[in-house]
Amino acid sequence: MASRRFFFGTALALAAATGGRDARAQGADPARAAQFIQATGQELVAALNSNAPVERRRQQVASILRKAVDVEGVGRFILGRWWRQASPAEQQEYMRLFEETLIRNLSARFGEYQGVRFSLGRAQQRAEEDVLVNTIIERPNIAPFSLDWRVGNVGGQPKVVDVIAEGTSLRLTQRSEYSAVVQRNNGQVSALLAAMRNQIQQLAAREGR
Amino acid sequence: MRLTRHALLPLLLAAFLPSLLGACATRPTADDPEAVAEFKQNNDPIEPFNRGSFAVHQTIDRYALEPVARGYRNVVPQPVRTGVRNVLANLRTPVIFLNDVLQGESRRAGDTLGRFVVNSTLGVGGIFDVAGNRMGVRAHDEDFGQTLAKWGVGEGPYLFIPILGPSNPRDLGGFGVDIASNPLTWVGQGAAVDGLLWGRAGATVVDTREGLLETLDDVNRTSLDPYATLRSAYRQRRRAEIGNRTGAPAAFGTGFGAGAGEPSAPAGR
Repeated sequence: MASRRFFFGTALALAAATGGRDARAQGADPARAAQFIQATGQELVAALNSNAPVERRRQQVASILRKAVDVEGVGRFILGRWWRQASPAEQQEYMRLFEETLIRNLSARFGEYQGVRFSLGRAQQRAEEDVLVNTIIERPNIAPFSLDWRVGNVGGQPKVVDVIAEGTSLRLTQRSEYSAVVQRNNGQVSALLAAMRNQIQQLAAREGR
Repeated sequence: MRLTRHALLPLLLAAFLPSLLGACATRPTADDPEAVAEFKQNNDPIEPFNRGSFAVHQTIDRYALEPVARGYRNVVPQPVRTGVRNVLANLRTPVIFLNDVLQGESRRAGDTLGRFVVNSTLGVGGIFDVAGNRMGVRAHDEDFGQTLAKWGVGEGPYLFIPILGPSNPRDLGGFGVDIASNPLTWVGQGAAVDGLLWGRAGATVVDTREGLLETLDDVNRTSLDPYATLRSAYRQRRRAEIGNRTGAPAAFGTGFGAGAGEPSAPAGR
């Protein structure tokens, strides 16, 4: 009896272990990633095109982004080598500002994004552990363009980890930008935080218009 | 002493050194490997000089390039602008074809040649992209900078050049070769031909800037350091272009009027 229970326990543990390893080895699943982008994109487009007041729409967009984007991972990637130089309080503040920047960058453009449509483009492809899901974004009066969403597997859930337009990765570009700000201020992360706060204020001001 | 080619380079360097000395970025010390890695990654040893050029460019852009591009968009209707873009792209196809061939891309060379023949005739001198829209042979871009890269030539240090934008010695040299290798540069002479050539150059600048209105608006408005953003974007994009990994070609920095098609919009920022 005891041995049997032991056997079952071991088998379960083994299954869990190998299953876990399989999931990790596979990284993100292309079909699932495409489905995830399709669903998230539809949610986002609906929120952008809704007639709700700006405040309400911003909350909707914020909750979609929090759910769909690996904010923590992307934020850390972008701060790069400065993450360890920042104090715990600065790290926390940075994360808060980074998330807010992400949201405000969209909400400040609600006007421009009116009428936006999107569709899944050519087939997805793998990129190391991740999957690149291609979409075509259409806006009125502007030629359609193609965006690739890099979807990773974060804690068993598909999450957006990068956006790539014509070979240009958003997280790489932004890492370069943030690092330049810190460097040009004698390696002070606080200078970057001040610049981010300032930017959020400007974005918020635009939102009112 | 005979002046060999090898002796020429140090001489040139010596001539430029005074202006560059005051403009060198300080290389981080070796005890900070991450900082050194980033310094190499940025590939921008003359950053202060480049930032100066960037400031000059931004002023020219604010008072000349951008307002003209915006005026062009407001006054000229979309179908006409598309026609202008198509004509400019068609005039560039000989250069694209040559570089397809130099890179040994026979299939892409065939596409380019076919596009030139079809669009110059059925497309009424290149106004309509019949090959792309009706026959599914889409435009792609090539330039001599990319050919050099395929041949193994390194990019060299990053350069920012007013009006031309982000570049490097390889791409800048390639830009010169592209102009020299375009048959149009050498047809006839006289005021009329000169006027046409300058007209084409001017139209190319306006068309390119118009195509970049959203992208650059976005960079200028939201980047905490537009210079660093453009540097990173240019280098990533060139890498993708060299590997033929981009869909529609776009002009971004060196290579005004690169190919046809629509320039990319920024990643939703």
